Amino acid sequence: MLQTETTTTGVGLPEKSAFSWRKVGVFFGALTVFYLLINVYLRLFAFSKGLDYTSQDYSTYWMGMLLTEFVVEAITAAALWGWLWITRDRALDRLTPAEELTRYWAWAAIVLSYAFSVYVGASFFTEQDGTWHNTVVRDTDFTPSHIVEFYLTFPIYIIFGVASLIYAMTRLPQFATRISLPYVILIGSPIMIMPNIGLNEFGHTRWFMEELFVAPLHWGFAFFGWGGLAIFGVGLQACPRIMALIHHVYYGKPILSASEVLKDPTGTCDPACCYPASEA
Amino acid sequence: MQYSQVDAEAKAVARKFDIVIIASTFLALVGGFHVHQMLVAGDWSFWIDWKDRNWWPIVAPILEITFPAATQAVLWTRFRMPIGATICCLGLLFGEWMNRYINFWGWTHYPLNMVFPETFFPAAVVLDVVLMLTGNWVVTALIGGELWGWLFYPTNWVMIAPFHVPVEYQGSLMSVADVINYMYVRTSTPEYLRIVETGTMRSFAGGVTGVAAFFSAFVSVCMYVPWWLMGAHFFGSTKFFKTYDAATADVRHS
Repeated sequence: MLQTETTTTGVGLPEKSAFSWRKVGVFFGALTVFYLLINVYLRLFAFSKGLDYTSQDYSTYWMGMLLTEFVVEAITAAALWGWLWITRDRALDRLTPAEELTRYWAWAAIVLSYAFSVYVGASFFTEQDGTWHNTVVRDTDFTPSHIVEFYLTFPIYIIFGVASLIYAMTRLPQFATRISLPYVILIGSPIMIMPNIGLNEFGHTRWFMEELFVAPLHWGFAFFGWGGLAIFGVGLQACPRIMALIHHVYYGKPILSASEVLKDPTGTCDPACCYPASEA
Repeated sequence: MQYSQVDAEAKAVARKFDIVIIASTFLALVGGFHVHQMLVAGDWSFWIDWKDRNWWPIVAPILEITFPAATQAVLWTRFRMPIGATICCLGLLFGEWMNRYINFWGWTHYPLNMVFPETFFPAAVVLDVVLMLTGNWVVTALIGGELWGWLFYPTNWVMIAPFHVPVEYQGSLMSVADVINYMYVRTSTPEYLRIVETGTMRSFAGGVTGVAAFFSAFVSVCMYVPWWLMGAHFFGSTKFFKTYDAATADVRHS
């Protein structure tokens, strides 16, 4: 099908600067610095101010941080998601291939930020909580480690995950009119980790007092962690289109137009598009 | 613009996408695999005194062949990349070491000798090579899965053997691993919580590790199959669902 259809849109080379590392670097660098600072905060105040829930220091340094997080996260999510929606492309069917390709680069930067946040939330700070459980006998559900893990790092990847989905559905024809199954798994599973904290906290309070990591109260997290594998499906959907756009923009190969992709996004998932231009 | 310049630009753009997509995939795999491993097999991975010869070599291989099988299903069938298992185990080990070093040791001061993780690298390389040489996932499940279970204990033995040297401590026989557990206080992990071999009236003392390895190899074969299928047909699916509006419009037109 791809071979028989030709585009009606104009061909123009995108600016080289449209694919700069700056976009990726800003996201990645900002997140890295932010998480480093969070780690510094934990090092400074977890032992010195975070051992007694009933103390005044705890309210100031930890419960204060928790409330700040809630407010900042709500504002960030509303602002980011709202901005992405308000500035949506209302004429996606007339999108030029060059512009579409540069949008995939921005999208890839958001997905990378999401994946990095998933790593930090699900791997780094989750196992970090394991060692904190073995260092204190806790007197609250809101331990310093939980305030960072559950109520900071989890919401951050939820914000990035939903943002990447909104970006894709408002700017990329492939994802605009149909719901992608792997994308729903990729974004939805980690979101469901957040409600699973309810089971976890109930379990630690009423069920397993000791820190048995493999106890059933934790299995929901593992189940939702599987969703990370769905990044393969999302990649398999996007990569053929990205390669087809590169073939078209730089080598003039035929390609499905944006309006055709809107009607049948499945047609863009042919892995044969991924071969180098010389073979395609 | 010269054709060669255009060609170079196209290749540069494709290469940049490669890097970002590979990095995203790796990080998502680390997050997913580590949270899975931590919450189904984590306790044996955290502590040297949990690394016994009965439960550790059963639980770890069975539950950690999951992501490698699913990743192989995508990377091998779609890209002919024979690195699915290895990249998963690399990611897991990266996630674990970042934590054990920075947090377990760096923050709460448990010695690394106590909290170093298990390795699956040798078994993962074997699993990948079996798939690459046979090109057949059923054969990989049967032979690779079997080797996955058998190889686990031998390839980790070099790391844990020094901690099994016996010592007499206050009149009792203990291994070095037990003494480490005894000395470095964990507030929420009492000794009775450990799920380690305690002996039964039906077991023959010398055969524990071998029997455990064979059993875990058998179950690893059984685990490989559903996880390959999930990787190939569920997580690696390229299906799009119609939205309500699109589906309704289709019905109207037909």
